[in-house]
Amino acid sequence: MEGQNISISGSGRVSGGEYGQVRISGSGKVDGDVTAQEIRVSGSGRFQGEVKAKEITVSGAGKFTSRVEADVLVTSGSCGIDGDAEVKELRSSGAQRIGGSFHGHYVRVSGVLHVARDLEADVFTSSGRFEIGGLLSADRVEVKLVGDSRAREIGGENIDIRASSGLSFGFSLARGFRFGLGIGTLTVGEVEGDRVHLEATTADVVRGKVVHVGPGCRIGRVEYSESLEVHPEAEVGERIKR
Amino acid sequence: MDEDLIAKKDVLEQTGISYGQLYRWKRKGLIPEAWFIRKATVTGQETFFPREKILTRIEQIRSLKEEQSLDELVQILAPESAPETVKCDDPTLLAPVGAEGRKLMWKDRGYTFGELVALACGAHALRAGTRPAEAKLLVDLVRAAEEVVRAPTGITALLGEKSIDGEGLAVRLTVGVLGHEPVRLDRESRVKHRVDMEKIAEQVKLALREVA
Repeated sequence: MEGQNISISGSGRVSGGEYGQVRISGSGKVDGDVTAQEIRVSGSGRFQGEVKAKEITVSGAGKFTSRVEADVLVTSGSCGIDGDAEVKELRSSGAQRIGGSFHGHYVRVSGVLHVARDLEADVFTSSGRFEIGGLLSADRVEVKLVGDSRAREIGGENIDIRASSGLSFGFSLARGFRFGLGIGTLTVGEVEGDRVHLEATTADVVRGKVVHVGPGCRIGRVEYSESLEVHPEAEVGERIKR
Repeated sequence: MDEDLIAKKDVLEQTGISYGQLYRWKRKGLIPEAWFIRKATVTGQETFFPREKILTRIEQIRSLKEEQSLDELVQILAPESAPETVKCDDPTLLAPVGAEGRKLMWKDRGYTFGELVALACGAHALRAGTRPAEAKLLVDLVRAAEEVVRAPTGITALLGEKSIDGEGLAVRLTVGVLGHEPVRLDRESRVKHRVDMEKIAEQVKLALREVA
């Protein structure tokens, strides 16, 4: 069933329901649950109720007070979701905050992502900053560190954390730390993966088959089953081979 | 509970599965969140699992994976995904209900998934030697608790028996109890029969698949 389209370009308020397109370019508020093909917020939009949509684009300020379900969510502005998010594809170059947990297929962060609980996806890539209050789990976790990111736990198949690219031009990361240069870091409690590559990461425990601890890492304990390589500019407390 | 636990690293070592698989199956809901038990050990925090459940589940995933996609597996195994559309006309064809279950049936046809699980609980008790009237208690109990069938992890249905010996009077009462583990009875009662709801729901799911 294809609903009607609504567009708020001044200041307006509509009630929930089934819509084709919802466009808010002024300041708009939607009360109640919404199902839509497409939601575009370029002004300021507030959704009070559950939202289900094929595609959600937030380039202004979007606020969702409940659960959000979408095939695609693109944020270039600021988007806050108070509930859980079930989003197949999330691309955030702005600021994305999720008050519950996130479940989906693909996540790409180039801005800032904040998830209060778990984030579960098949692929997670970041060249931005993220904070995950719970477990970050994906088949592929690919991170280029910019700014300081955090997660309670990271688990998956391939975990690849790289320091920002300036480092590969031969200057020492450890020195960079000492001088307090603004290089990205990751702080995490536990990392578990089959192939783990870490740089500029502080972790209590790292477990994996093939583990590579790169420059700038401080790891309390590494448990590995196949191989472990530790860069001279990394600190590892305990090394345990299983 | 003194359930036998196994550390995550031992699960990986014993079964030969990878971290990637374990996390993937968790994401898909094939391994319930409730099975991940975090405990403090000498070496810090570690994750443990109920030994029997996790090893059986991994075995099932592996044997079914040959013919099914992961998403289909979720439909079959994940405890949260109780089949909504099941209408079974002959429950006795399902192994967990079987011929014993016939005595417990209350209608001719059109059994839903929840009702099949209820029957299976009763049949489970009958096979262990309880009387039909007592097994029926379990069936009624489970029939009335639909939410349990949808989220059966950690839930037990049991038959308890209490003897009251007074002067010139001896009564034996049987009661049905349904609840989250740990389920305890008072000291004068004994557990006559115990059913792990998660296991029974799973058996029914697998049996439905075999019949189909």
